Amino acid sequence: MSNSNKYDTAFIETFQVDAQQLSGLQYQDIKEWDSIGHMQLMSVLEEAFSVELDIDDIIDFSSYEKGKEILSKYGVSMANE
Amino acid sequence: MVDVMTFAFWIRPANLERLRRAFAECDERLGLGVLLHITPSNVPVNFAFSYVFGLLAGNANMVRVPSRTWPQITAISSTMSRVFESGDHEQVRRRTAILRYPRNDKITADLSAQCSGRVVWGGDSTIADIRRLPLPPRAVELVFADRYSLCVLGASAMTSLPDKVMHQLARRFYNDTYLVDQNACSSPHLVFWNHVPDEETEARFWNAVERVVRDNYALEPIKQVDKYTRLLRDAVELDGNAALCARHQEYLYRVRLKALPNDMEALRGRYGYFYEYHSEHLDDLAPVVTSRYQTLTYFGVSPESLRDLVIGNRLSGIDRIVPVGRALDLDVTWDGYDIIRSLSRFISVSGSDS
Repeated sequence: MSNSNKYDTAFIETFQVDAQQLSGLQYQDIKEWDSIGHMQLMSVLEEAFSVELDIDDIIDFSSYEKGKEILSKYGVSMANE
Repeated sequence: MVDVMTFAFWIRPANLERLRRAFAECDERLGLGVLLHITPSNVPVNFAFSYVFGLLAGNANMVRVPSRTWPQITAISSTMSRVFESGDHEQVRRRTAILRYPRNDKITADLSAQCSGRVVWGGDSTIADIRRLPLPPRAVELVFADRYSLCVLGASAMTSLPDKVMHQLARRFYNDTYLVDQNACSSPHLVFWNHVPDEETEARFWNAVERVVRDNYALEPIKQVDKYTRLLRDAVELDGNAALCARHQEYLYRVRLKALPNDMEALRGRYGYFYEYHSEHLDDLAPVVTSRYQTLTYFGVSPESLRDLVIGNRLSGIDRIVPVGRALDLDVTWDGYDIIRSLSRFISVSGSDS
Protein backbone atom coordinates (compact mmCIF):
# COMPACT_ATOMS: atom_id res chain seq x y z
CA MET A 1 0.00 0.00 0.00
CA SER A 2 1.36 3.45 -0.85
CA ASN A 3 1.95 5.99 1.90
CA SER A 4 -0.99 8.08 0.64
CA ASN A 5 -3.23 5.05 0.81
CA LYS A 6 -2.10 4.20 4.33
CA TYR A 7 -2.63 7.81 5.38
CA ASP A 8 -6.14 7.97 3.94
CA THR A 9 -7.03 4.59 5.41
CA ALA A 10 -6.05 5.81 8.88
CA PHE A 11 -8.54 8.69 8.60
CA ILE A 12 -11.28 6.62 6.97
CA GLU A 13 -11.11 3.82 9.54
CA THR A 14 -10.64 6.02 12.61
CA PHE A 15 -13.39 8.51 11.78
CA GLN A 16 -15.66 6.34 9.58
CA VAL A 17 -15.62 8.92 6.79
CA ASP A 18 -15.56 8.65 3.00
CA ALA A 19 -12.45 9.30 0.95
CA GLN A 20 -14.20 12.28 -0.67
CA GLN A 21 -14.46 14.03 2.70
CA LEU A 22 -10.74 14.01 3.39
CA SER A 23 -9.54 16.94 1.34
CA GLY A 24 -9.65 20.08 3.49
CA LEU A 25 -10.80 18.17 6.58
CA GLN A 26 -9.86 19.98 9.78
CA TYR A 27 -9.71 19.09 13.47
CA GLN A 28 -13.20 19.32 14.99
CA ASP A 29 -14.89 19.69 11.57
CA ILE A 30 -16.63 16.40 12.26
CA LYS A 31 -17.71 15.10 15.65
CA GLU A 32 -15.51 12.01 15.33
CA TRP A 33 -12.38 14.18 15.11
CA ASP A 34 -12.52 15.51 18.66
CA SER A 35 -9.72 15.33 21.21
CA ILE A 36 -10.30 11.60 21.79
CA GLY A 37 -10.49 10.88 18.06
CA HIS A 38 -7.29 12.85 17.64
CA MET A 39 -5.39 10.60 20.05
CA GLN A 40 -6.73 7.54 18.24
CA LEU A 41 -5.67 8.93 14.87
CA MET A 42 -2.18 9.71 16.17
CA SER A 43 -1.76 6.16 17.55
CA VAL A 44 -2.94 4.64 14.26
CA LEU A 45 -0.57 6.81 12.21
CA GLU A 46 2.38 6.04 14.48
CA GLU A 47 1.73 2.36 14.02
CA ALA A 48 1.10 2.56 10.28
CA PHE A 49 4.31 4.45 9.56
CA SER A 50 6.44 3.17 12.48
CA VAL A 51 7.16 6.68 13.73
CA GLU A 52 7.01 8.42 17.12
CA LEU A 53 5.32 11.78 16.80
CA ASP A 54 6.59 14.60 18.91
CA ILE A 55 4.02 16.15 21.25
CA ASP A 56 4.28 19.52 19.48
CA ASP A 57 3.57 17.86 16.16
CA ILE A 58 0.59 16.04 17.68
CA ILE A 59 -0.79 19.42 18.75
CA ASP A 60 -0.02 21.09 15.41
CA PHE A 61 -1.69 18.27 13.48
CA SER A 62 -4.76 20.39 12.72
CA SER A 63 -5.92 19.18 9.31
CA TYR A 64 -5.66 16.41 6.75
CA GLU A 65 -3.20 18.50 4.71
CA LYS A 66 -1.17 19.72 7.71
CA GLY A 67 -0.70 16.11 8.76
CA LYS A 68 1.00 15.24 5.47
CA GLU A 69 3.38 18.12 5.97
CA ILE A 70 4.18 16.95 9.52
CA LEU A 71 4.72 13.33 8.49
CA SER A 72 7.13 14.42 5.76
CA LYS A 73 9.45 15.60 8.56
CA TYR A 74 9.56 11.98 9.72
CA GLY A 75 10.57 10.78 6.27
CA VAL A 76 7.04 9.77 5.27
CA SER A 77 6.63 11.24 1.83
CA MET A 78 3.31 11.23 0.02
CA ALA A 79 4.23 13.33 -2.99
CA ASN A 80 4.71 11.82 -6.47
CA GLU A 81 3.54 8.36 -5.59
CA MET B 1 -13.80 9.25 29.12
CA VAL B 2 -11.11 11.54 27.82
CA ASP B 3 -8.90 10.82 30.86
CA VAL B 4 -8.89 7.08 30.19
CA MET B 5 -8.01 7.82 26.57
CA THR B 6 -5.21 10.12 27.73
CA PHE B 7 -3.80 7.31 29.83
CA ALA B 8 -4.11 4.88 26.91
CA PHE B 9 -2.35 7.40 24.70
CA TRP B 10 0.43 7.81 27.25
CA ILE B 11 1.12 4.07 27.41
CA ARG B 12 1.00 3.60 23.63
CA PRO B 13 4.08 1.82 22.25
CA ALA B 14 5.64 4.93 20.68
CA ASN B 15 5.61 6.81 23.97
CA LEU B 16 7.02 3.91 25.99
CA GLU B 17 9.76 3.59 23.38
CA ARG B 18 10.52 7.30 23.79
CA LEU B 19 10.79 6.82 27.56
CA ARG B 20 12.96 3.73 27.16
CA ARG B 21 15.43 5.73 25.11
CA ALA B 22 15.34 8.69 27.49
CA PHE B 23 16.20 6.34 30.36
CA ALA B 24 18.70 4.19 28.46
CA GLU B 25 21.31 4.45 31.21
CA CYS B 26 18.78 2.95 33.61
CA ASP B 27 19.92 -0.46 32.33
CA GLU B 28 22.18 -0.35 35.37
CA ARG B 29 19.21 -0.06 37.67
CA LEU B 30 16.85 -2.47 39.38
CA GLY B 31 13.51 -1.84 41.01
CA LEU B 32 13.37 -1.47 44.78
CA GLY B 33 11.12 -4.50 45.25
CA VAL B 34 7.47 -4.26 46.18
CA LEU B 35 5.78 -0.87 46.20
CA LEU B 36 2.61 0.14 47.97
CA HIS B 37 0.69 2.90 46.19
CA ILE B 38 -2.01 4.87 47.96
CA THR B 39 -3.85 6.69 45.17
CA PRO B 40 -6.10 9.74 45.36
CA SER B 41 -9.87 9.88 45.26
CA ASN B 42 -10.07 13.08 43.15
CA VAL B 43 -8.33 11.98 39.92
CA PRO B 44 -9.61 8.53 38.94
CA VAL B 45 -6.94 7.58 36.36
CA ASN B 46 -4.12 8.51 38.71
CA PHE B 47 -3.88 4.96 40.07
CA ALA B 48 -3.09 3.66 36.61
CA PHE B 49 -0.28 6.15 36.08
CA SER B 50 1.16 5.43 39.51
CA TYR B 51 1.08 1.70 38.75
CA VAL B 52 2.85 2.15 35.43
CA PHE B 53 5.49 4.41 37.01
CA GLY B 54 6.22 1.67 39.53
CA LEU B 55 6.29 -0.99 36.83
CA LEU B 56 8.60 1.00 34.56
CA ALA B 57 10.99 1.49 37.47
CA GLY B 58 11.14 -2.30 37.79
CA ASN B 59 8.94 -2.97 40.81
CA ALA B 60 6.13 -5.27 41.87
CA ASN B 61 3.12 -3.12 42.76
CA MET B 62 0.25 -3.15 45.23
CA VAL B 63 -2.04 -0.31 44.27
CA ARG B 64 -4.81 0.80 46.56
CA VAL B 65 -7.57 2.52 44.59
CA PRO B 66 -10.15 4.88 46.11
CA SER B 67 -13.29 3.32 47.53
CA ARG B 68 -15.46 5.52 45.32
CA THR B 69 -16.37 3.40 42.28
CA TRP B 70 -15.28 5.59 39.42
CA PRO B 71 -16.21 4.17 35.99
CA GLN B 72 -12.68 5.00 34.83
CA ILE B 73 -11.17 2.68 37.46
CA THR B 74 -13.58 -0.10 36.55
CA ALA B 75 -12.79 0.31 32.86
CA ILE B 76 -9.02 0.23 33.30
CA SER B 77 -8.87 -2.57 35.85
CA SER B 78 -11.25 -4.81 33.92
CA THR B 79 -9.15 -4.27 30.79
CA MET B 80 -6.05 -5.21 32.79
CA SER B 81 -7.77 -8.39 33.99
CA ARG B 82 -8.65 -9.29 30.42
CA VAL B 83 -5.06 -8.77 29.27
CA PHE B 84 -3.73 -10.83 32.19
CA GLU B 85 -6.22 -13.66 31.50
CA SER B 86 -4.66 -14.09 28.08
CA GLY B 87 -1.63 -15.52 29.90
CA ASP B 88 0.82 -13.51 27.81
CA HIS B 89 2.04 -11.36 30.67
CA GLU B 90 2.41 -13.82 33.51
CA GLN B 91 5.48 -12.12 34.98
CA VAL B 92 3.70 -8.79 35.20
CA ARG B 93 0.47 -10.32 36.47
CA ARG B 94 2.28 -11.97 39.38
CA ARG B 95 3.75 -8.63 40.33
CA THR B 96 0.47 -6.73 40.22
CA ALA B 97 -2.26 -6.28 42.81
CA ILE B 98 -4.97 -3.65 42.46
CA LEU B 99 -6.62 -3.37 45.87
CA ARG B 100 -9.79 -1.79 47.14
CA TYR B 101 -10.58 -1.92 50.84
CA PRO B 102 -12.41 0.36 53.22
CA ARG B 103 -10.23 2.77 55.14
CA ASN B 104 -8.38 0.47 57.52
CA ASP B 105 -5.11 1.37 59.21
CA LYS B 106 -4.44 -2.22 60.20
CA ILE B 107 -4.35 -3.38 56.57
CA THR B 108 -2.37 -0.38 55.38
CA ALA B 109 0.10 -0.85 58.27
CA ASP B 110 0.61 -4.53 57.39
CA LEU B 111 1.22 -3.72 53.74
CA SER B 112 3.50 -0.81 54.63
CA ALA B 113 5.61 -3.01 56.91
CA GLN B 114 6.35 -5.32 54.00
CA CYS B 115 7.09 -2.91 51.18
CA SER B 116 10.33 -1.47 49.83
CA GLY B 117 8.73 1.77 48.81
CA ARG B 118 5.52 3.65 49.37
CA VAL B 119 3.96 6.11 46.95
CA VAL B 120 1.28 8.30 48.47
CA TRP B 121 -1.01 10.65 46.60
CA GLY B 122 -3.45 12.68 48.62
CA GLY B 123 -4.41 15.62 50.74
CA ASP B 124 -2.51 16.72 53.83
CA SER B 125 -4.61 14.70 56.24
CA THR B 126 -4.33 11.46 54.22
CA ILE B 127 -0.57 11.89 54.10
CA ALA B 128 -0.34 12.58 57.82
CA ASP B 129 -2.40 9.44 58.51
CA ILE B 130 -0.31 7.23 56.24
CA ARG B 131 2.97 8.61 57.60
CA ARG B 132 2.08 7.32 61.05
CA LEU B 133 2.38 3.79 59.68
CA PRO B 134 6.04 2.71 59.75
CA LEU B 135 8.04 1.46 56.80
CA PRO B 136 11.00 -0.94 56.91
CA PRO B 137 14.30 0.90 57.52
CA ARG B 138 15.48 0.84 53.91
CA ALA B 139 12.14 1.67 52.32
CA VAL B 140 11.73 4.95 50.45
CA GLU B 141 8.64 7.09 50.31
CA LEU B 142 7.45 9.40 47.56
CA VAL B 143 4.70 11.75 48.60
CA PHE B 144 2.55 13.67 46.17
CA ALA B 145 0.81 16.16 48.38
CA ASP B 146 -1.86 18.72 47.74
CA ARG B 147 -0.51 21.43 45.43
CA TYR B 148 -1.62 24.70 43.91
CA SER B 149 -1.32 25.74 40.26
CA LEU B 150 -1.69 28.85 38.16
CA CYS B 151 -1.79 30.08 34.59
CA VAL B 152 0.22 32.96 33.13
CA LEU B 153 -1.17 34.67 30.03
CA GLY B 154 0.91 37.10 27.97
CA ALA B 155 -1.48 39.94 27.17
CA SER B 156 0.37 41.35 24.17
CA ALA B 157 0.55 37.97 22.44
CA MET B 158 -3.20 37.65 22.86
CA THR B 159 -4.30 40.90 21.29
CA SER B 160 -5.35 40.34 17.70
CA LEU B 161 -5.19 36.57 18.08
CA PRO B 162 -7.26 35.07 15.22
CA ASP B 163 -10.63 33.71 16.42
CA LYS B 164 -9.65 30.17 15.62
CA VAL B 165 -6.46 30.31 17.69
CA MET B 166 -8.33 31.99 20.53
CA HIS B 167 -10.86 29.16 20.42
CA GLN B 168 -8.08 26.55 20.57
CA LEU B 169 -6.50 28.33 23.51
CA ALA B 170 -9.87 28.42 25.29
CA ARG B 171 -10.33 24.74 24.56
CA ARG B 172 -6.94 23.91 26.08
CA PHE B 173 -7.64 26.06 29.10
CA TYR B 174 -10.95 24.23 29.49
CA ASN B 175 -9.17 20.85 29.36
CA ASP B 176 -6.80 21.96 32.13
CA THR B 177 -9.58 23.07 34.43
CA TYR B 178 -13.23 22.11 33.82
CA LEU B 179 -12.35 18.57 32.77
CA VAL B 180 -11.51 17.77 36.39
CA ASP B 181 -13.67 20.49 37.99
CA GLN B 182 -10.38 22.23 38.96
CA ASN B 183 -9.89 19.44 41.52
CA ALA B 184 -6.52 18.22 40.24
CA CYS B 185 -3.35 19.64 41.82
CA SER B 186 -2.15 20.84 38.43
CA SER B 187 -5.40 22.65 37.54
CA PRO B 188 -4.97 26.43 37.65
CA HIS B 189 -6.97 28.58 40.06
CA LEU B 190 -5.20 31.87 39.42
CA VAL B 191 -4.89 33.51 36.01
CA PHE B 192 -1.99 35.94 36.08
CA TRP B 193 -1.98 38.37 33.15
CA ASN B 194 1.50 39.52 32.37
CA HIS B 195 0.98 43.10 31.32
CA VAL B 196 -2.43 44.56 31.77
CA PRO B 197 -4.67 43.31 28.95
CA ASP B 198 -6.93 45.69 27.08
CA GLU B 199 -10.59 45.11 27.83
CA GLU B 200 -11.36 43.64 24.46
CA THR B 201 -8.61 40.99 24.63
CA GLU B 202 -9.59 39.93 28.10
CA ALA B 203 -13.26 39.72 27.14
CA ARG B 204 -12.49 37.74 23.97
CA PHE B 205 -10.54 35.15 25.94
CA TRP B 206 -13.16 34.63 28.63
CA ASN B 207 -16.03 34.65 26.15
CA ALA B 208 -14.23 31.97 24.16
CA VAL B 209 -13.85 29.89 27.34
CA GLU B 210 -17.52 30.41 28.13
CA ARG B 211 -18.50 29.10 24.68
CA VAL B 212 -16.45 25.92 25.17
CA VAL B 213 -18.03 25.45 28.60
CA ARG B 214 -21.56 25.90 27.20
CA ASP B 215 -20.92 23.27 24.55
CA ASN B 216 -19.14 20.70 26.71
CA TYR B 217 -19.63 21.01 30.44
CA ALA B 218 -22.25 19.31 32.56
CA LEU B 219 -23.24 22.10 34.90
CA GLU B 220 -25.07 20.31 37.69
CA PRO B 221 -26.95 22.39 40.28
CA ILE B 222 -24.45 21.51 43.03
CA LYS B 223 -21.69 23.15 40.99
CA GLN B 224 -23.74 26.30 40.48
CA VAL B 225 -24.46 26.49 44.19
CA ASP B 226 -20.81 25.93 45.08
CA LYS B 227 -19.67 28.78 42.85
CA TYR B 228 -22.34 31.16 44.00
CA THR B 229 -21.60 30.38 47.66
CA ARG B 230 -17.91 30.96 47.08
CA LEU B 231 -18.64 34.30 45.47
CA LEU B 232 -20.66 35.40 48.48
CA ARG B 233 -17.91 34.25 50.82
CA ASP B 234 -15.26 36.02 48.76
CA ALA B 235 -17.34 39.19 48.86
CA VAL B 236 -16.96 39.13 52.63
CA GLU B 237 -13.51 37.63 53.09
CA LEU B 238 -11.60 39.43 50.34
CA ASP B 239 -12.39 42.57 52.24
CA GLY B 240 -12.11 45.10 49.45
CA ASN B 241 -9.34 43.27 47.57
CA ALA B 242 -11.64 42.41 44.65
CA ALA B 243 -11.33 44.83 41.74
CA LEU B 244 -13.99 43.06 39.73
CA CYS B 245 -16.39 40.15 39.99
CA ALA B 246 -17.70 38.89 36.68
CA ARG B 247 -20.21 36.13 36.06
CA HIS B 248 -20.71 34.58 32.66
CA GLN B 249 -24.10 33.33 33.76
CA GLU B 250 -23.50 30.12 35.70
CA TYR B 251 -20.75 28.91 33.39
CA LEU B 252 -17.80 30.91 34.56
CA TYR B 253 -16.98 33.13 37.52
CA ARG B 254 -14.03 35.50 37.70
CA VAL B 255 -12.77 37.53 40.60
CA ARG B 256 -10.02 40.01 39.83
CA LEU B 257 -7.76 40.84 42.74
CA LYS B 258 -6.24 44.24 43.40
CA ALA B 259 -3.27 42.65 45.14
CA LEU B 260 -1.99 39.09 45.43
CA PRO B 261 -2.56 38.09 49.06
CA ASN B 262 0.13 36.16 50.91
CA ASP B 263 -2.24 33.25 51.30
CA MET B 264 -3.10 33.22 47.59
CA GLU B 265 -2.95 29.41 47.63
CA ALA B 266 -5.98 29.36 49.93
CA LEU B 267 -8.04 30.87 47.11
CA ARG B 268 -9.20 27.86 45.17
CA GLY B 269 -12.06 27.84 42.75
CA ARG B 270 -13.91 24.81 41.54
CA TYR B 271 -16.18 24.05 38.58
CA GLY B 272 -14.97 27.12 36.66
CA TYR B 273 -14.20 29.78 39.24
CA PHE B 274 -11.03 31.78 38.67
CA TYR B 275 -9.04 34.47 40.40
CA GLU B 276 -7.30 36.96 38.14
CA TYR B 277 -4.51 39.42 38.56
CA HIS B 278 -3.16 42.03 36.17
CA SER B 279 0.51 42.80 36.44
CA GLU B 280 3.26 44.55 34.51
CA HIS B 281 5.94 42.41 36.18
CA LEU B 282 6.28 38.64 36.34
CA ASP B 283 8.33 39.11 39.50
CA ASP B 284 5.15 40.19 41.30
CA LEU B 285 4.50 36.47 41.62
CA ALA B 286 7.66 35.77 43.58
CA PRO B 287 6.54 36.90 47.05
CA VAL B 288 3.43 34.71 47.11
CA VAL B 289 4.88 31.47 45.71
CA THR B 290 5.35 28.83 48.41
CA SER B 291 6.32 25.17 48.23
CA ARG B 292 2.62 24.44 47.61
CA TYR B 293 2.91 25.76 44.06
CA GLN B 294 3.30 23.04 41.46
CA THR B 295 2.32 23.76 37.86
CA LEU B 296 2.52 27.00 35.94
CA THR B 297 0.76 26.87 32.57
CA TYR B 298 1.59 29.59 30.07
CA PHE B 299 0.55 31.14 26.80
CA GLY B 300 2.27 34.06 25.10
CA VAL B 301 5.13 34.20 27.63
CA SER B 302 8.52 32.61 27.01
CA PRO B 303 9.09 29.50 29.13
CA GLU B 304 12.69 30.65 29.68
CA SER B 305 11.53 33.83 31.39
CA LEU B 306 9.31 31.71 33.64
CA ARG B 307 12.16 29.36 34.50
CA ASP B 308 14.28 32.43 35.30
CA LEU B 309 11.50 33.66 37.56
CA VAL B 310 11.69 30.42 39.57
CA ILE B 311 15.44 29.88 39.58
CA GLY B 312 16.45 33.56 39.71
CA ASN B 313 14.26 34.18 42.74
CA ARG B 314 15.06 30.75 44.26
CA LEU B 315 11.37 30.13 44.70
CA SER B 316 10.44 27.24 46.96
CA GLY B 317 7.58 26.24 44.68
CA ILE B 318 6.65 25.76 40.98
CA ASP B 319 8.35 22.68 39.62
CA ARG B 320 6.51 22.34 36.37
CA ILE B 321 6.16 24.89 33.55
CA VAL B 322 4.01 23.72 30.63
CA PRO B 323 1.93 25.28 27.85
CA VAL B 324 -1.79 25.84 28.49
CA GLY B 325 -3.51 22.54 27.68
CA ARG B 326 -0.86 20.30 29.20
CA ALA B 327 -1.61 20.85 32.89
CA LEU B 328 -3.01 17.36 33.42
CA ASP B 329 -0.35 15.46 31.44
CA LEU B 330 1.10 13.28 34.16
CA ASP B 331 4.59 12.11 33.36
CA VAL B 332 7.54 10.35 34.95
CA THR B 333 8.85 13.68 36.19
CA TRP B 334 6.28 14.98 38.66
CA ASP B 335 6.29 17.32 41.63
CA GLY B 336 9.98 17.86 40.94
CA TYR B 337 10.80 14.17 41.36
CA ASP B 338 12.42 11.94 38.77
CA ILE B 339 10.03 9.11 39.60
CA ILE B 340 11.79 6.30 37.71
CA ARG B 341 15.12 6.96 39.39
CA SER B 342 13.49 7.57 42.78
CA LEU B 343 11.79 4.17 42.70
CA SER B 344 14.83 2.17 41.59
CA ARG B 345 18.37 1.67 42.77
CA PHE B 346 21.61 2.16 40.92
CA ILE B 347 24.19 -0.61 40.82
CA SER B 348 27.56 1.12 40.82
CA VAL B 349 30.48 -0.88 39.49
CA SER B 350 34.03 0.42 39.54
CA GLY B 351 37.55 -0.77 38.88
CA SER B 352 38.71 -4.15 37.70
CA ASP B 353 40.62 -6.91 39.44
CA SER B 354 42.96 -7.59 36.57
